Amino acid sequence: MKTRLQLPQITWWRIFLLAVMSVGLYSTYLRFAHGLGASTALRDGFPWGLWIGFDVLCGVALAAGGFTVSAIVYIFHSERFKPIVRPTILTAFLGYLLVIVGLLFDLGHPWRIWHAIIMWNPHSVMFEVAWCVMLYTTVLALEFSPMLFERLGWKIAYKTVHRLTVPLVIMGVLLSMLHQSSLGSLFLILPGKLYPLWYSPWLPIFFFVSAIALGCAMTIFESFLSYRAFRKRLEIDLLADLAKIMAVPLALYLLLKFLDLRGRGVLHLAWEPTYEGRMFLLEIIVGVVTPLVLLLFRRVRYDEFGIFVIACLVVFGTVMNRLNVATTGLEGYAGRYFPSWSEFAVTAMIIAMGFVLFGLAVKYLRVFPAEELRAAGEGLPELPVVTALRRPLTSPALVVLVVAGVLAVAGSGLAYSAFSGRPSDGSASSGTLLPDISRGVTELHLSDVDFISSPDSPGKVTFRHGSHVDFDRPACADCHSGRFSMLSRSSLEGVDMHDEQHCGACHDGQKSFSVTDDCSSCHGN
Amino acid sequence: MSPKQIQRKKAILLDTTRCVGCGACYQACQEQNGQLRPSGDFLNEDLGARTFTVVNNRSGRYVRRMCMHCEVPTCVSVCPVAALEKTAAGPVVYHDRKCIGCRYCMQACPFNVPRYEWTSTTPYVRKCNMCAARQAKGQATACATVCPTGATSFGDREEMIQEARRRILAAPDHYFDHIYGVQEIGGTSVLVISDVPPEQLGLPTRLGNEPLPELTWNVLEKIPTAVACGGVLLSGIWWITNRREEVARAEGKKKRS
Repeated sequence: MKTRLQLPQITWWRIFLLAVMSVGLYSTYLRFAHGLGASTALRDGFPWGLWIGFDVLCGVALAAGGFTVSAIVYIFHSERFKPIVRPTILTAFLGYLLVIVGLLFDLGHPWRIWHAIIMWNPHSVMFEVAWCVMLYTTVLALEFSPMLFERLGWKIAYKTVHRLTVPLVIMGVLLSMLHQSSLGSLFLILPGKLYPLWYSPWLPIFFFVSAIALGCAMTIFESFLSYRAFRKRLEIDLLADLAKIMAVPLALYLLLKFLDLRGRGVLHLAWEPTYEGRMFLLEIIVGVVTPLVLLLFRRVRYDEFGIFVIACLVVFGTVMNRLNVATTGLEGYAGRYFPSWSEFAVTAMIIAMGFVLFGLAVKYLRVFPAEELRAAGEGLPELPVVTALRRPLTSPALVVLVVAGVLAVAGSGLAYSAFSGRPSDGSASSGTLLPDISRGVTELHLSDVDFISSPDSPGKVTFRHGSHVDFDRPACADCHSGRFSMLSRSSLEGVDMHDEQHCGACHDGQKSFSVTDDCSSCHGN
Repeated sequence: MSPKQIQRKKAILLDTTRCVGCGACYQACQEQNGQLRPSGDFLNEDLGARTFTVVNNRSGRYVRRMCMHCEVPTCVSVCPVAALEKTAAGPVVYHDRKCIGCRYCMQACPFNVPRYEWTSTTPYVRKCNMCAARQAKGQATACATVCPTGATSFGDREEMIQEARRRILAAPDHYFDHIYGVQEIGGTSVLVISDVPPEQLGLPTRLGNEPLPELTWNVLEKIPTAVACGGVLLSGIWWITNRREEVARAEGKKKRS
């Protein structure tokens, strides 16, 4: 009998995906079956790690394209950008869903994620973020829903939501403005802990401005990937304009950062050869200064590879910034933190889920206008890197390649020096000097304890703390560790005090005279 | 007024000059919280999910570490679900039924006190609760009850401040003239006096006297204004650009006709 099964095509990407998913699922099992301690490098001094730093902080920032592009199109009426609204809304919606997934991993009691709905604390930034994320995910779901209604043929629902577009967009922008900045405000309460290069009263402003830049960068990034993966036309002129728009928040960010550091008198810390200083320079030079310089060249802006590199740099810079605020900047205070493999695995799985869901949406919904998709069968254009290598002198990609190469070398040098200057484990430095307790000992008042005598007792026993305590080292805990209660007089009635649990513990003939030696040593004194 | 509301605010006074490092507080604390176990090395131990107080050697002094029960607690302000609460009598208590496990309290605490049950699959935040249950019965905290030297004492906050002043005045050569916790970050319910400045005891001294929650409240209180202004601004921009388009469309029609 011959039955031919239609197996999905095996590609390297799918094998890779399968591997990421399996390791991720195993880590998920570790996390939920054995707890956070078994699955993460988190500890009491370092309660937030990669899952908050990347999955939540970066996740929300990377989804900023949703409000940036919809504001450009619907509020500023730049209708030219309309073709990229749907994919960015989709990216944002998936982004927020995955942020919630990441949060479910990180929360100690994930099944109580809804608590903030009924248990209020308006003084908490986290409370505000929780509400904004809930509301904005709903807004994004509504903004995304027309794609679904259209596919299902639900015309009334489609029209209803479509009519709500502008109010939804305004709500979305307001909510984003609030929580993008509030993610920065989360760290305002750590003045003594976060390294001064990142701790600033302007944190909320920095988080918001960089989110706008990142929103543009992610849109470019995601357009480029769609162009490679789904054979979509690349709207290079649109993206070049978006890149130009991006230059505004990016430059503003750099300016504000400079003013802030100088105003607080900590600018010099950036040049110091410390772990923090290097990580900060890496973030600013690679993620802000370089893309700004590259954006000055029209030829780079209009080059598909050039614009992709710019977008990647901005994404890198912002991701690094969020991780620096959430982890690097706290290492000086709380000691080293490096995520465990399972933290990486879960994060990789969540990213992979994002790609798979985006792919499925493109396959089953009209994410891109039909005319944007090239006819199937038409080959992909060759990779820009290959083009650049073949025609090295005529391609603007050369500029980008050279800059990227120099950066890679400089960056790895910086990273290397950063890691070699990493703070060691922040174990509390306890003085080796043995404390002088002479003053304390004069205050020492220890009462005598009269034991109850049994009828056959040779005489009453009074326990004298004075003769049992070493006054150079009065270690109460040695005897009071459960054997003799300190808070409530434990009843010793009917207890044989001679046994190993009581007097016999020390009066054994070795540590001290034995309970069987001479009764009058204790009894009747 | 209920009796709870008129309850006087309590405090713990720590005097490092009297501490002999005997570990009675450590032991009594574990006994009180049902965490008793064979004697631990309280001098070298750190606070933990089952250890709410330790005695550490700092600059050659025995210094107790425990929750400071701030007057305006950072942990209470950051908790998104109000699982932490500052009670009228002083203790900062934890309602584990509300806690979602975000650990913001641990991240935010300026004294680095709250601990987590990392090995549990239903983990809770753990810290000293200033023996709130004993206090409700009119008793002193376990640690103060057993301290044999008066290095830890318990009473009304005002009285404890007076007592600290008395001790400093009576032996000015023996004390550094400062009561830590009267003003620091808005005040704490655990007061510390010593013969050395507080920074040598490992206490944070650069955080000022303003409560830390002010730092975020300054931003949070602007939210309603920001939403109102932002909403009006965005709607305004939309209205203008929309109108401009309508006009352009109408003029285009006119030209064509």
